[in-house]
Amino acid sequence: MALLKKVVDWLDVRVGVREVVEKELTGYLLPRNINVWYSMGSILLFAFALQVATGMLLLIYYVPDADKAFKSVTAIMNDIPFGWLIRMCHAIGSKFMVLVLLFHMLSVLFMGSYKRPRELNWVTGFILLTMVQGISLTGYLLPWSQLSFWATTVATNSANAIPVVGPYVVKFLRGSTLVGPPTLGHFFALHVTVIPAGIATLIGAHLFLLKRTGISTPPFGRPDTVNRWEGKSYSYERHPGGIPFFPNYALEDLRSIAIYLACFLAVVFFDPYLFFPKDAFIPANPFVTPAHIKPEWYFLANYQTLKIFPNELIGLSLQAVAMTFLALLPFIDRGPERHPLKRPLFLACFAGGLLLWIGLSIWGHLS
Amino acid sequence: MRYRETALNLRVWLKVILLLALISCLPPFAAFAQEAAEPVCIGCHFKMPEKYSQPVALWRGSIHAENGVFCNGCHGGDPKDAANAMSPARGFLGAPQEPAIPAFCGRCHVGVLKDYLASAHGRMLGKGGPTCVTCHGNHKVLKASLELINEKSCSRCHSFERAGLIRAAMQETETTIVAIEGRIGAYKKIGTDTEKLEKDLFSVRNRFHTLFHNVNVELVKQESARIQADLKKIEVVLAGLDDAHRKRKLAGAIAVPFMLLVALVLHLLRKTFD
Repeated sequence: MALLKKVVDWLDVRVGVREVVEKELTGYLLPRNINVWYSMGSILLFAFALQVATGMLLLIYYVPDADKAFKSVTAIMNDIPFGWLIRMCHAIGSKFMVLVLLFHMLSVLFMGSYKRPRELNWVTGFILLTMVQGISLTGYLLPWSQLSFWATTVATNSANAIPVVGPYVVKFLRGSTLVGPPTLGHFFALHVTVIPAGIATLIGAHLFLLKRTGISTPPFGRPDTVNRWEGKSYSYERHPGGIPFFPNYALEDLRSIAIYLACFLAVVFFDPYLFFPKDAFIPANPFVTPAHIKPEWYFLANYQTLKIFPNELIGLSLQAVAMTFLALLPFIDRGPERHPLKRPLFLACFAGGLLLWIGLSIWGHLS
Repeated sequence: MRYRETALNLRVWLKVILLLALISCLPPFAAFAQEAAEPVCIGCHFKMPEKYSQPVALWRGSIHAENGVFCNGCHGGDPKDAANAMSPARGFLGAPQEPAIPAFCGRCHVGVLKDYLASAHGRMLGKGGPTCVTCHGNHKVLKASLELINEKSCSRCHSFERAGLIRAAMQETETTIVAIEGRIGAYKKIGTDTEKLEKDLFSVRNRFHTLFHNVNVELVKQESARIQADLKKIEVVLAGLDDAHRKRKLAGAIAVPFMLLVALVLHLLRKTFD
């Protein structure tokens, strides 16, 4: 302990570390009625860090070449010590990350935390969702399996429905007319450099906005849930009498991360193939189309929507309208009230939208 | 004033349309339809009258289709050029005459051809004896298995008595091979590298299949015993894989409760700060 104190003293006289700790940790106060849903952000940070760490380890052995990719992944799964664990953590981690991201967004929606002055937090979060979907999609191709190959073929093919520029967009995405070695190169570069850098930058922006605006108070358990911010000048939302971030809330965050890890490891160790159909372990073959190509669970609602409409463009446009509406929600829903029970129209749309999404996903899975 | 409002509205709409266009380009909104890529023969024959389309339908249920052996694998020709797909200049052979069938199949199944020609069946080639397609079928080519030795099929030409004895002698080995094949298949489905195991089993099964054309019951029994010993070696490797998977579950049985315990400790620790 004496050594630790010496190290802290040494740092303190140079960079004022005690002041930083006081301001950012022990003196950073959060609302007393903060709830477990606020931990989703920390879980997401942890999940992203885990993806980066396992991704770096996979990079040591993965070969982004159409002739060698499948064999390199097979070698990782079978020959490299704990390679199966690292690969499974990476592959299953991406699915869990999307799940927690959806929980995070749903809780922000439900508690009205997207409302002014936090419009930018919402928009950065929404872009993060699309980037996480993008990194999942690009990562899907890398094992160069039948599933990867055909899922990417049909996914990129849908851009053909865009009038006039569709075929050019398809060619741009694939790097060639058909999915092939150039597509693997494109997707690999996007997956390991461009999109992670974009996600890291946006996480930084998201946290910066969170720190500058101050954390929102949950609308529950308070008589007055109206947002009093008038938008005339910048103001930081303080929580006098609140709980300190460290140790109180940090322990809550860590507890949530431990529970997340327990669920995550349960899948990794007991049912790691839950998300892998058999085509995921067959090398890509452009001459053999698998009988049933289905997207990841979080794209099943999109998939089913496209199947409902006879014209692909109508289906795509409807989804684009829905996503644009969600992205711009803070600019459309401008009322000051945040309590869901005092916003019956919002609550009905929220529940209806969620049920519709779940229903379409189940339908897509069974269809 | 009205002009400015209209211009402002237009700008807002333009931005919305631009955003819509950008978002609609995102890959996550992908349509999951299918794109097929098969040799040109299938594309043409599939649409033809039954006489010509039936081979395609039969082939789809064959062991050849299962293993990616297309029309050109047997009949030659150019699978990528519809105009020259059946051109003899591109190696097209068409359907062989009956006495030429064993040689036709034997271009790939070299060892089997040798066994067949040495067998009682092969010695009757061209004299009313059976060819490959008599038992294995054509187009819907059936996988070599003991199922092919059955009373209905054999008694088309002779009594089933001796064939029945041979089948009984090989039944245990066949059962073991099928069981091992199932286990290897199950591991393959979950990404296990089964290439060597598959090759070993392929080799053992080929040796086993050479017995299929043999009519010496004693020889069949002796060779079956040797094959069983080789199958045991494959089973040992599979047992090793079973053990590795059991250990993974054991690790999970430790890791998951440990994380739950950590969560409980953190929760209690958090309570001390209330």
